[in-house]
Amino acid sequence: MMFKTIWFRLMHRYSGVSKQRSVVRLSSSAAEGAVAPPADCSVTAEQAVRLWARHFTLHGISEPLLSSQYIISHVLGEKTLERVSRKRLRDTLTDREIERVWKLCSKRLTRMPVQYVIEEWDFRDLTLKMKRPVFIPRPETEELVSLVLEDLQLIQGESHRTDLRGLEVGCGSGAISLSLLRSIPQLRVFALDQSQTAVCLTTENANRLGLQDRLDVHHLDVIKDADAILSKCDLVDFIVSNPPYLLSQDMKTLQTEIFRFEDHAALDGGLDGLSVIRSILGLGSKLLKKRGRIYLEVAPCHPPVIQQLIEDMMPGLLYLETHCDLTNRPRFCILQKKGEND
Amino acid sequence: MASSRLQLLNVTLSRTVRVIHSTLAQTQRAFHTSQPVTLTKILSVDEIFNKKSLQAHLRKKELEYNSWLESISSEPLREDEEDLNMKKKTDLSALRPLVQKIRELQEKQKELEDTQDLLKDNEPELQELAESEEDECLKVIQDLKQKIISLLIPEEESDMSDLVLEVTAGVGGQEAMLFTAEIFDMYQNFAAFHGWGFDILEVMSSELGGVRHAAASISGPLSYKKLKFEAGVHRVQRVPKTESKGRIHTSTMTVAILPQPTEISFTINPKDLRIETKRASGAGGQHVNTTDSAVRIVHLPTGTVSECQQERSQIKNKETAMTLLRAKLYSARLEEETSKRYQARKLQIGTKGRSEKIRTYNFSQDRITDHRIGKTIHDVRGFLQGEELLEEMIVFLQQFSEQESLLDLLRDSDQDQ
Repeated sequence: MMFKTIWFRLMHRYSGVSKQRSVVRLSSSAAEGAVAPPADCSVTAEQAVRLWARHFTLHGISEPLLSSQYIISHVLGEKTLERVSRKRLRDTLTDREIERVWKLCSKRLTRMPVQYVIEEWDFRDLTLKMKRPVFIPRPETEELVSLVLEDLQLIQGESHRTDLRGLEVGCGSGAISLSLLRSIPQLRVFALDQSQTAVCLTTENANRLGLQDRLDVHHLDVIKDADAILSKCDLVDFIVSNPPYLLSQDMKTLQTEIFRFEDHAALDGGLDGLSVIRSILGLGSKLLKKRGRIYLEVAPCHPPVIQQLIEDMMPGLLYLETHCDLTNRPRFCILQKKGEND
Repeated sequence: MASSRLQLLNVTLSRTVRVIHSTLAQTQRAFHTSQPVTLTKILSVDEIFNKKSLQAHLRKKELEYNSWLESISSEPLREDEEDLNMKKKTDLSALRPLVQKIRELQEKQKELEDTQDLLKDNEPELQELAESEEDECLKVIQDLKQKIISLLIPEEESDMSDLVLEVTAGVGGQEAMLFTAEIFDMYQNFAAFHGWGFDILEVMSSELGGVRHAAASISGPLSYKKLKFEAGVHRVQRVPKTESKGRIHTSTMTVAILPQPTEISFTINPKDLRIETKRASGAGGQHVNTTDSAVRIVHLPTGTVSECQQERSQIKNKETAMTLLRAKLYSARLEEETSKRYQARKLQIGTKGRSEKIRTYNFSQDRITDHRIGKTIHDVRGFLQGEELLEEMIVFLQQFSEQESLLDLLRDSDQDQ
């Protein structure tokens, strides 16, 4: 392992406001680095936040202040800096805390996403463990879960069913499945991912949240293992997925945080971005109960293409609607398996 | 309803007395009025009761009651007459508790007269008995008068709400932000003091540990009713921590108190909202990795804005921003409805009160003065603890406000005659 060595030098306080000067020396380029924090100085949490924000800025790290705040509050045992008491912010960091802050912030200097640095992030009302290179849940997907929940709660309200079953394709860290399981007490979900690391992470998150009893996680590829999926998974009331939907040509324009650290297989949807989506739709025709629905997160260019695809090639499916995300981009497609009379 | 208001008035009065006694026992503290001319006085029960306008109002209510009672029909009526009949029945039942108490009072006063006649007779065996009965009567009469007064004080629909508390630093830079943080802490402690819930919706801190802006959702019985007169500009006069030369500075901060509506009573059309998030640039979705989950909502018809960046989850920030927005819109509407009523009052609510300087916290003189009613309390540090001293001030404001309501009511009643 090669090391990146970085030195910092802190200047004394001036009229109650700290000034820091930093000297950065790169001795080699590396994916990860160990850092030695300065042994001879004391620094408060507040000062550390400012210091590292400046460093991140100097090194062109995106969202420098947020990165610094999230990492340091994590070391102090809180989710956000706002939750750290004002007193604690002004206390000197312990040696152990300094070491930890320096170690984690150095990782961020390598453009590692904050979520991987602190190995944790929130999704809706869950806190999930994050582990590279398993895909980090995006905020848009929180809305996808809302759409599914609305419909499921309607079904429950009308039929009082206690045997709802769903399938998630590409579960990643388990965000979607676990959110659904948390909100719907009698739901059972069959989740699959082509990455063993993702399967392990989903299982770990399920255990942490006490939801493992209602979740079956399998290491399966929706394109290559379609037969295995059909044999292992019973008919379901819905299928949900945030499948890889980026166009291959767009992969190279990804920000370094994503390109260098996240699993490309979780992002690359092939030439038209639809390679995995096509398989999911095919699966839907066979695995969904009548009038069961498919909920997909897609790229903004996809909805009309999918609609056409359904009409041309999948007569058993009906295109219901397109939903926009909070930024008003078309983002979610809802489809339904036709019933006898449709 | 009547009994809870009675309890409040009783609690209000007795708690004040208890607090006054306890604080006097601890330290030398006096109540001043800062300017004798604007002396605001809390009238005693007897003083209020002796007012001609009150007596006239009570008589009027009795007459109303009796006339409605006669006019209510128990025979089958036409449809439109039936509606009017129903309304009369509702009004009647609303007045019944008051009229009952008035009658009880009249009976007790008669009893008192009879007892006092007995005392005049000067028969020694009956003397003691008569005296104790006289005392008993007087107590009950006082009690009834209090009950009647509290029945007269108009109830505000919003008094039963929970609220959103917003603090914003004003003039004075870092010092103003430090002061804002202290006031926010004060109200947090006050909520704990009353066993209310205090959920922080949003905090924007400053570098030195001050607060630029913060909002919290406070929930619990009578929370809005107690805090509604805290809205306005609070001013601090002291030597700031950031000051090297020992000069006194004046800084300000603003408190806004927004009653929170229930879901049913207040709906917002999603089409009227513009929701702003960080992810607006680029293709969004899988294409972007960000930790910026801040949400900002603009209510297009009114231009009202709320934002939240408190959580790591964007959808949670959105929900909080919506809660904040609803509180702002609801309080704006409420204000429209009540502004006429509160126009002439010393104690304002809503935005009219928001830019008013309501209170000064003077550290060197160790006093807090509320300018609307000219009341001063000492021990700034104790006050900022957000416990008994703040409660004292608030109780006084409550009593004063109730009095203003009552006097307005009597004035209107007078004019109607």
